[in-house]
Amino acid sequence: MNEEQHSGSHSETIHLPAPTAWPIIMAFGVMLAFAGMVTNFGISLLGIVLALSGAIGWFRQVLPHEAHEDIPVVVENIIITTTRPEVARIIVPEDDRAHLPVETYPVLSGIKGGIAGGIAMIPPAILYGLIAQHSIWYPVNLLGGAGVANWRNPSTADIAAFHWQGVLVAIVIHAITCLLVGLLYGAMLPMLPRRPILLGGILAPVLWTGLLHSTMGVVNPELDQHIAWGWFLISQVTFGLVAGWVVAHQSRIRTAQSLPFIMRMGIETPGLVRERESATENEDESR
Amino acid sequence: MSAIPLTPHVSDHQHPWHLPYRGRIGMYCLILGESAIFIIFVLAYVFYIGKSLTGPTPQQVLEVPIFNSICLLSSSVTIWLAERNLEHRKMKPFALWWALTIVLGLIFLVGTGMEWHTLIYEKGLTVSTNLFGTTFYSLVGLHASHVIFGLIGLSLVLIFTLTGHVKEEHAERIQVLALYWHFVDAIWIVVFTVVYIIGR
Amino acid sequence: MADSTFPNPAVPIAGGAHGALDVTPPDVRKHSVLEILHSWITTVDHKKLGILYMLYGIFFLLVAGAEAIAIRIQLAVPNNHFLSPQVYNRFFTMHGTTMVFLVGMTMIFGFANYLVPLMIGARDMAFPRLNAFSFWVTAFGGLLLYYSFLGGSGLYGVGNAPDVGWFAYAPLTARAFSPGHATDYWAIALIVSGFGTVGTAINVVATALCMRCKGMTLMRMPLFVWLFVVVSGLTLVTITPLTAAQIMLLVDRYLGGHFFDTQAGGSAVAWMHFFWIFGHPEVYVLVLPAFAIANEVIPVFSRKAIFGYAAMVAASVGIAFVSLGVWAHHMFTVGMTSASNAFFTLSTMLVGIPTGIKIFNWLATMWGGRIRFATPMLFLTAFVFQFLLSGLTGIMLAVAPWNWQLHNSYFVIAHFHYVLVGAIVTAIFGGIYYWFPKATGRMLNERLGKWHFWLFTIGFHITFDVMHIPGLLGMPRSIYTYEADRGWGTLNMIVSIGGVIQGIAVLIFAYNMIVSLRSGEKAGNDPWDAWTLEWATSSPPPDYNFATDPVVSSRRPLWDLKHPEDPDWKYEA
Repeated sequence: MNEEQHSGSHSETIHLPAPTAWPIIMAFGVMLAFAGMVTNFGISLLGIVLALSGAIGWFRQVLPHEAHEDIPVVVENIIITTTRPEVARIIVPEDDRAHLPVETYPVLSGIKGGIAGGIAMIPPAILYGLIAQHSIWYPVNLLGGAGVANWRNPSTADIAAFHWQGVLVAIVIHAITCLLVGLLYGAMLPMLPRRPILLGGILAPVLWTGLLHSTMGVVNPELDQHIAWGWFLISQVTFGLVAGWVVAHQSRIRTAQSLPFIMRMGIETPGLVRERESATENEDESR
Repeated sequence: MSAIPLTPHVSDHQHPWHLPYRGRIGMYCLILGESAIFIIFVLAYVFYIGKSLTGPTPQQVLEVPIFNSICLLSSSVTIWLAERNLEHRKMKPFALWWALTIVLGLIFLVGTGMEWHTLIYEKGLTVSTNLFGTTFYSLVGLHASHVIFGLIGLSLVLIFTLTGHVKEEHAERIQVLALYWHFVDAIWIVVFTVVYIIGR
Repeated sequence: MADSTFPNPAVPIAGGAHGALDVTPPDVRKHSVLEILHSWITTVDHKKLGILYMLYGIFFLLVAGAEAIAIRIQLAVPNNHFLSPQVYNRFFTMHGTTMVFLVGMTMIFGFANYLVPLMIGARDMAFPRLNAFSFWVTAFGGLLLYYSFLGGSGLYGVGNAPDVGWFAYAPLTARAFSPGHATDYWAIALIVSGFGTVGTAINVVATALCMRCKGMTLMRMPLFVWLFVVVSGLTLVTITPLTAAQIMLLVDRYLGGHFFDTQAGGSAVAWMHFFWIFGHPEVYVLVLPAFAIANEVIPVFSRKAIFGYAAMVAASVGIAFVSLGVWAHHMFTVGMTSASNAFFTLSTMLVGIPTGIKIFNWLATMWGGRIRFATPMLFLTAFVFQFLLSGLTGIMLAVAPWNWQLHNSYFVIAHFHYVLVGAIVTAIFGGIYYWFPKATGRMLNERLGKWHFWLFTIGFHITFDVMHIPGLLGMPRSIYTYEADRGWGTLNMIVSIGGVIQGIAVLIFAYNMIVSLRSGEKAGNDPWDAWTLEWATSSPPPDYNFATDPVVSSRRPLWDLKHPEDPDWKYEA
């Protein structure tokens, strides 16, 4: 950056498109041509004439050569400088950065965990039915009751009886929910920094139960009256613990997080991936 | 900054700095916008097929304009041949092919005009007759107006060619105009399919 | 140094105060008023046209603002008769139409015109004459629209402006229900100004793709330019469907067509579809420029490079694509199939992902930075916050059952004004404070700017936060007045008071512009210590922008020059 790089001596000029009135005439003409539709046809006629003359004038501006004017260059001293010459880097402590899982569980582990948790959840639920209502169908119908079409304000005896639709719907809901939650665990547990079983097995079910407990009274008051929340919590925690344990004890696979984007895209042409060693943590600077 | 920094700026300066031609980009943008207009009109046509409460129906009054369509579509080929000749500085064949394109476009326009004349005066179909009339004249008319604008542009080029003003260095501008003509032809394929095949 | 071939580069004075070198204006001869007028009318210079766009937009901002104030006075108390019902209908129609087409569209294209060539180191737009034509045809279209106040039903009728709402639903627009020419004015004026919009959109795309200075690859373009390429592309496929629908409307009204005539088998719902195919992407056409301003202002005032450049580009393109598939969420109450309801609910919620990426990127840009809360940054900070809130009510309204309850209520009005005022107008104000020094050579007064900001923001929140509540209480939009026993009275009074506060703030802004233009502090070339190319030339820039063609090697060319020991290009792949 030296003085001799000053461009443009005093005699130099720069070609710029010459000012012209034809575009505004054409624009006015176009507007008038349309305005005639709401006013008077004569105005349209005038507009068309103006627009045409504008178009012709414009055309002659551009062809055969674009009209130019020469603007003399005024030499100026443009100083590109800053009052903040220092550059600071934001220091990111090694232990403070977000954890991207380098290894994770395969999708299959989530499904396995969901199945195991779902099976493990059944005994406490059945146990509750036997102890509290002397019927194994009671918890089943609570879950599947939504599928029994005309179920309005059921009595306790109703719920304790056997309904094949209830069983069917309950099985479907139970299976799907368990698989989905299992998959969620499979995806989430590697992201939880410490004690995945504590979080996934106990904290999540407790929060989930709390959420249901507080909203069920609004969503479905009848159903709310029939749910024993203590037992509900026990079954949920059973599921969480078993599913979490199963997931956490599967073997891990490497994620593609540490690979460059091109490799993750599956493009393997040699030479595409350039070696870069310094470009990862230099994103921030201030002052 | 520990490693040897990449110096992209050095390699950049070694390559020549190429940018696309503004006319071409502008025309692509115009075509994009025009396509959106046609999409709406085509959608309206398709949506209103068979919704007319009174006759005449397309089945009764429409005849498939095969000759017209062949003329218009073949004009895409002739204009392409004209462009080729211009690139090779063969001005005579260029003017010839270009003029043929205009003739083909004119035949299409006249054909459309005759079709409309028959429809209006013999078969009694106007814009206000029924929904079919409304949508038919709007869609085909919109396309025809594009053909007219294209023909005006093509004719100007022909006039300047005959007066000897068009040179080989104008090839890029003329290609942009040809691009518009190709677009008008391509739209006709859609309009033809919708109006004369699906709608009939 | 290869990267320092800059427009008139000079010896960098380490720590030198910016603006230390006063530049004598090139042409000291006084021009007569007529000469000046002539030079503005015949200009093809993108900078002058950009300023014309902005002035035009600000003028109509004041007009539409006055209409809004009149509407708010009418609604402030129950059973009010401040306006007649007919005038009220005209005012809300004209307010909406003006704000979207004559204020929003012109101001964003004002920014595009002024800044896109400067930022990419070009001398002018790709098609300078088309640029002039586009501005003037848009301007004349707007004048034609307002001429309807004088000549609605031919030259003989008086005061017959459009009164069908800015969305002009069929069948109200049919000849039978809207006699006279009021509705024709609406359609024709917007078609005319649509020509200009399409012309400028083409121009911006062609400029950004074909006029970039050496070294400015697509992935080194400032995000501002990127956003305007996306906006222009979106405009091309958005304004044209509106034009198509308005042509159909005119065919119906003039030639007796049946497009939207339900008695002849036509469909009023078709109009709704066509209109919202335009109408929803239009919101993104307006809000993406606000993002563009945020992308420039927030990094400069946080003293950090924008976080996640590539993600921002991808998110912008993503928003544009998604926005084309969400229009029917304006039509949940029409009675679509449940599959359509589900589709449009989900696609609308999908918009939340790219916009979320953007908000997090702005926050990450601010995080750890040395933030300076000058007026532009104040506005842009408010923008981020208010845009987030408007997005959240948007997600609420995207849920079909919720929408069934609140459709066409003041909740919807509050939601979209939160987007249009809280996000777009706020960001545009910030943008004007940021680039005014570049365009005029003088700073806007900071003290008045702070007054403007705080009054405007407080007024905004008084108006539009509270406006959600009458909507939840069931107050429908577009009503002339209401009974006293509805319980909306106090709330509407508060809303109206907030509106007046915003009006005062805008007047302070107008005053600030006039005063600062005459006697504002001299700005110098680079008052904000910024990094994009427009700050590498004098303020205001000479006709030719840059005496020599700049060459860039990174996304922040001025950073490279200011910190030659630690340039950006080392970190950009």
